[in-house]
Amino acid sequence: MRAAALTFFMFVIGACLARAEQPQIEAHLGKGTQLMQQELFEAAANEFDQALAVNPSDPRAHFQFAVCLLSLGRNDNARQHFEQVRKLAGESRYLTYYFGRLDLLANDYASAIRWLASVVEDPPFPDVAFHLGVAYVSSGDMSNGIKCLERAAKVLPRDYRVHYRLARAYATAGREQDAAREFDLYNQFRDEHKNTETEARACTTALHSQSIETAREVCHRMFDPNDPEKLTLLGQLFGDAGAFDDALGPLKRAVQLDPKSFEAWHNLGVTYFRLQRYGDARRPLETAVGLRPEFYGSVVLLGATLYMLGDDDAALPVLEHAHQLNPADSQTKDVLEKLRAAPPKK
Amino acid sequence: MATRGVRPQPRGKPSGLPFHARFTDVAAQAGLRAPVIYGPADRMDYILESMGCGVAFLDYDNDGWLDIFLLSGTRRDGRVDGATNRLYRNNRDGTFTDVTAKAGLTRQGWACGVTVGDYNNDSFEDLFITGWPQNTLYRNNGDGTFTDVTEKAGLLHPGNHWGTGCTWVDYDRDGRLDLFVSNYLVFDFDKIPPAGKDPSCTFKGVPVNCGPRGLVGERPMLYHNNGDGTFTDVTARSGIAAVPPAYGLTAVAADLDGDGWQEIYVACDSTPSLLFHNRGDGTFAEQGLQSGLAVNEDGREQAGMGIAIGDCDIDGSLDVLKTHFAEDTAALYRNAGHLNFEDVTLRSGLGVETRYVSWGNGIADLDNDGLPDLFWVTGSTFPEVERKHPEFPHKSPRVLFRNLGDGKFEELLEAGPAISEAHASRGVVFGDFDNDGDLDILIMNMNEPPSLLRNDVRGGGRWLKVKLVGTKSNTSAVGAVVTATYGGRKQTQAVLASSGYLSCNDRRLHFGLGQAAMADVEIAWPNGLREKITGLSAGQLVTVKEDAGVVARERFGA
Repeated sequence: MRAAALTFFMFVIGACLARAEQPQIEAHLGKGTQLMQQELFEAAANEFDQALAVNPSDPRAHFQFAVCLLSLGRNDNARQHFEQVRKLAGESRYLTYYFGRLDLLANDYASAIRWLASVVEDPPFPDVAFHLGVAYVSSGDMSNGIKCLERAAKVLPRDYRVHYRLARAYATAGREQDAAREFDLYNQFRDEHKNTETEARACTTALHSQSIETAREVCHRMFDPNDPEKLTLLGQLFGDAGAFDDALGPLKRAVQLDPKSFEAWHNLGVTYFRLQRYGDARRPLETAVGLRPEFYGSVVLLGATLYMLGDDDAALPVLEHAHQLNPADSQTKDVLEKLRAAPPKK
Repeated sequence: MATRGVRPQPRGKPSGLPFHARFTDVAAQAGLRAPVIYGPADRMDYILESMGCGVAFLDYDNDGWLDIFLLSGTRRDGRVDGATNRLYRNNRDGTFTDVTAKAGLTRQGWACGVTVGDYNNDSFEDLFITGWPQNTLYRNNGDGTFTDVTEKAGLLHPGNHWGTGCTWVDYDRDGRLDLFVSNYLVFDFDKIPPAGKDPSCTFKGVPVNCGPRGLVGERPMLYHNNGDGTFTDVTARSGIAAVPPAYGLTAVAADLDGDGWQEIYVACDSTPSLLFHNRGDGTFAEQGLQSGLAVNEDGREQAGMGIAIGDCDIDGSLDVLKTHFAEDTAALYRNAGHLNFEDVTLRSGLGVETRYVSWGNGIADLDNDGLPDLFWVTGSTFPEVERKHPEFPHKSPRVLFRNLGDGKFEELLEAGPAISEAHASRGVVFGDFDNDGDLDILIMNMNEPPSLLRNDVRGGGRWLKVKLVGTKSNTSAVGAVVTATYGGRKQTQAVLASSGYLSCNDRRLHFGLGQAAMADVEIAWPNGLREKITGLSAGQLVTVKEDAGVVARERFGA
């Protein structure tokens, strides 16, 4: 889901401020993020590398590059780029999260616990409690590990990884009944996940190789009106293929079912934006920003939406916030300058 | 089989420590020149052609020297001259003689797995072979010949099955070896979809042979030894049938929780692996998930191929190493006691290697430093893929991780040409074929002659070999567990009838002792007797008879 959000975020980098020319760096960032979503990490890393060649002090490029390198298992390099982001843009919960993840991967459990515990109350991503729980369990602190994993199970109730880790932790602690319950949940959600994977693969293949009518038929198999994650994924698959009209239905249903799903609201906002339905895009994006006020992708897109709606008074503070989140985005800066220079509306 | 897209962990700085094992491929000069036929040489149109088969080190004539049994496949489009399972007798001079025909073992078909054990307790090792569409039991007549007694023993199953893993196991401790067989999937040349038909039949965009996903898995089987040369199918009665169908491959039996009753662990391909916990009353409970051995630490099933059992962290308990497909790590599970296993793959340093499809494996002290090392063989199932993706080669090198102690391993990327040479390999076994005090390695290569890696250990590491002969227990002592104490270390090994990928090791247990000159051993016999023998000096093979202590000592070595 994070990948989905990031993808849409990068989609809009170039599209949102349509009145400006798309500079080279944005093209590399956008392409890199798209490649990451296709799990073509080496190619994506190349794009981020080129983005950094254009502007070595762009924190977004360092950040995206670092996330990509983490996916490639090049953890030491990833850490270097996260460190660069810290130097250029200061501390953030996102960086804290990734430093915790990196330390966990390096088997430095004490440090991972320090990082992750510091953001578990206000998590930048929903899986903070999960990784913190894993770090505690790996360090031998079963009691805190179980507490964190129980918390993770509430945040990510359908994530089979959480239930498996929790089941194993219960079993190690001798809590057989609790373990059995969690193993049952693990089995249920693992099966669902495998089915979703199969269906998503078929949907993607159909979207890229067959007519939209045929693809719709294939993709509809994964339409579960009661599963917001699956609906969000379906919307994302349609969106990735440029079938924005088809993306709307699943995403609208997803936000009904899970009004706290940042990914669903964000993707719905992006979809409306791509359809140039700026009026409809406003509320989903406002909701997404409300859920994650520091997520640059949502904030800048909301600003762009307001700008396109001609509501410059509302756009100005939002874009100023976006600029604070990412001072290196020259496009936002340009638009801000225009807005500030414009005479006040009567 | 399926890739999980796992990226390798970064490699640390090399330790720079010397590794004293030196391997030379002596197969050709030893007389092992016949290729192991398994499907077409340049492609694999069907999954049956891609899975290959196992090998065995055994002493079929009880002369104290390891002989070799090599399984074989065939080709769909007709008989292939020379394609047969082969028995090679050890000439005790570094060479072997093909005695297949004389032994009555000539057979052409799709053999897969082999388990070696004396099921009729006549002191001669018998052979059970799995394959498609039938399995075969060969009774060792004790005169250098074997007789196919499959039907007479009641082991001829109705219909076609693809038997893969197999292991002798005295699950009810009555002193007779019973038989466990895992089955892979329902296979029929005429009904398998063609390459590229659906997502299960492509890899990285290249049309490849179909399966296992998309094909129908099968359940394993358990046969009880009646003691009169016949077996009874107890699959349902024992609880083995209670599991859902899976893509079962290698099966290994060992007492993993130290309660004296052997568990059965089955590596499954793309479905959760199975651990049958022996309840001690003739029944089993599947405990894969609960034990931590079914899936990886994130709860994802892996493409389980080979299983090695040994004491990696020399804490006196049996750990498990399982191999998988490319873009995934092998999995190392530390035995935490009470049938609870902890996935220590990443923290032990194995996460650096994800490049190859990995098969037969072993936990074996290859340099006699007293710390068991890890070894496995590799090779793709999709020869077509390397044309488009050279990073997925059809033939690939062997993988060797040396044990650094403290639970850490280091991959040796430059361990000599015998290790780095590329083959499409499947089965592998470990044993001392030249009786010189170190572990040699025999490897099955698809459509090539086997590799026989003679080990010439330097560095002065000492060793002790232990051969067990059961009396109340089965004569092969399959299921016995031996713990050796030496130089402040404690290492446990089990007598196994199956290991690696569908293969069977030398059942003489080999302990590298490092610089220790003496060792004590404690034996847990399959029937429950515990026996302790102290003050065994290094550099010898001791034969221990159940309840009679050491009955023979043999000193050999370079």
